[in-house]
Amino acid sequence: MISKVNIDPDRIEMFNLSAAMGSRWAEICTEFTAKIKKLGPSPIWIADQKNSKGLTQTKE
Amino acid sequence: MIVAEQKPFEEIWGMIKDYKKVLVFGCNTCVAVCHAGGNKEAESLGSLLRMQAKQENVDIEIKDSGIERQCEHEFFDSALKLLEWPDLVLSLGCGVGVQFMAAKFSDKPIFPGLNTTFMGAVESAGVFTEKCQGCGKCVLAETGGICPISRCAKRIMNGPCGGSTKGKCEISKDLDCAWQLIIDRMATLGTLDKYEEITPIKDWSTERSGGPRTIVREDLQV
Repeated sequence: MISKVNIDPDRIEMFNLSAAMGSRWAEICTEFTAKIKKLGPSPIWIADQKNSKGLTQTKE
Repeated sequence: MIVAEQKPFEEIWGMIKDYKKVLVFGCNTCVAVCHAGGNKEAESLGSLLRMQAKQENVDIEIKDSGIERQCEHEFFDSALKLLEWPDLVLSLGCGVGVQFMAAKFSDKPIFPGLNTTFMGAVESAGVFTEKCQGCGKCVLAETGGICPISRCAKRIMNGPCGGSTKGKCEISKDLDCAWQLIIDRMATLGTLDKYEEITPIKDWSTERSGGPRTIVREDLQV
């Protein structure tokens, strides 16, 4: 669904873990953070930056 | 239940983008079962539309909510206050819900977020099939519980036609011939002798072709 709004579906992933799987949870967080960093800023973040710059310029 | 599909995202965005305050409004009964227009879908669609608005830098506020049923007055009570807010409601109800809302909130545009398709069943997870066309004169007792009106492409009452081959309909090799199903079922029920009887021309006056229909039950009126 999110690909419809130009968001890479790789940015979302679901994991099922029990509360006892702390080390696996840490692993997933590390891996996923690395993956997101590799994908770079999301189009929403870029749009946010662009829009807020636009607003600043308008105010000036 | 009523089965529907969400309209293409681009079409929905095109309908709403010129408004300032949009409420994506779910209907949590039939169209929730087919995962098209329930409150959960309203929430997802609302998020997608907000993302789209942000990327296009469109000044629009989008909220999402829903009720259990958009085709009955009493279900709106909890949402009346919220429904004062938007300048456009994108209804995720079926065509009945959209029209019911349009009549109830006559000063507000109510747009459809779904394409309403048919009355059907949940065959398996994610598979919905048409089973009834609401013809107003049910013949299922004579046809082995299989409806030739909704499931035969030609809606014939004395089938099968010459287009039935190896149990499939001529319009698609994936579509079962309804009349083959009827014969098989009547054979199972031991009622094939009834199949031999010629069914007279159907009275279509009770169907949609007789104009929009209304049922009045005086015993239920308050």
